[in-house]
Amino acid sequence: MTAKSIYWNDVKEGDALPAQKREITRTTVVATAIATRDFTPVHHDHEAAQKSGANDIFLNILTTGGLIGKYMTDWSGPEAQLKKMVIRLGATCYPGDILVSGGKVVKKYTAGSEHLVDVEYNFSVAMGPHAWGTVTMALPNKG
Amino acid sequence: MSQDIYERLQKMVGEEAGPFEAADEVNKAMIRHWCEAMEDANPLYSDENYAKKSRYGGVIAPPQMVQAYCIPPLWPKRVLPDPQAKAVRMMDEAGYAGVVATTTSQEYFKPMRIGDRLSYKIKFVSVSPEKTTRLGTGHFLTSEYTYTNQKGEVVCVQSFTILKFKPAV
Repeated sequence: MTAKSIYWNDVKEGDALPAQKREITRTTVVATAIATRDFTPVHHDHEAAQKSGANDIFLNILTTGGLIGKYMTDWSGPEAQLKKMVIRLGATCYPGDILVSGGKVVKKYTAGSEHLVDVEYNFSVAMGPHAWGTVTMALPNKG
Repeated sequence: MSQDIYERLQKMVGEEAGPFEAADEVNKAMIRHWCEAMEDANPLYSDENYAKKSRYGGVIAPPQMVQAYCIPPLWPKRVLPDPQAKAVRMMDEAGYAGVVATTTSQEYFKPMRIGDRLSYKIKFVSVSPEKTTRLGTGHFLTSEYTYTNQKGEVVCVQSFTILKFKPAV
């Protein structure tokens, strides 16, 4: 397992995170619903989803949070600590969507002994922005 | 009518419920299932050898997973006196049939280690005045979840905001 980490010293405000894409299938929606222990019918039952006004079953919020955390630590490496995550929710993510993730470092600062960055991210689907917000992470520091 | 529901919701601000205990302790199988579904290869969550040498000295759960441990099981059914659920029922009865989650945030304070037992409290923290959005007219309701471990340490504080609305026609 590779465990390369990004150091706080090497990060600049404005740095972009590499974009990622994830194809969302019916299996993704159901597997993530179960793994997050969310048995709300709209995440596995097509008829219940349609009755609620949705087109189809759709990704749950816990999974959006899980994927944001993954996106952040895929970039930073495992030595970073997730401190805070704000998620604003927009367009529903349906089977067949390609979930596209992007982000950039908007603030680099210290607080006490911690070396922090704020990363603004956005996850989008065909219909528009799916989720966006800011994640605060503590990064390892050289020196 | 809508003034009345707003006043009743305002009276509920500060209502709290819990602590409720998580059904499972933090465990490797649930972490693996989470990482499998997310396609998250972070070795802190899966690689004992790597995690042993990390600041944590062992595998931890992804911090965002805290809520998954605390979802009440399908069976046996638990009826929790959740103030947010009560507010939602009140609004359903008053004709605000629509619901959409708008914002959630989590702040993390302590890692979740294998064997940790979590519990949580729910507090109803705010209701907005009536707002009209493209979806319809309604109120934003915000609840706060505080998750603690068996030592009484706060692991995470989460806020969750929904809009309950009368759908625009």
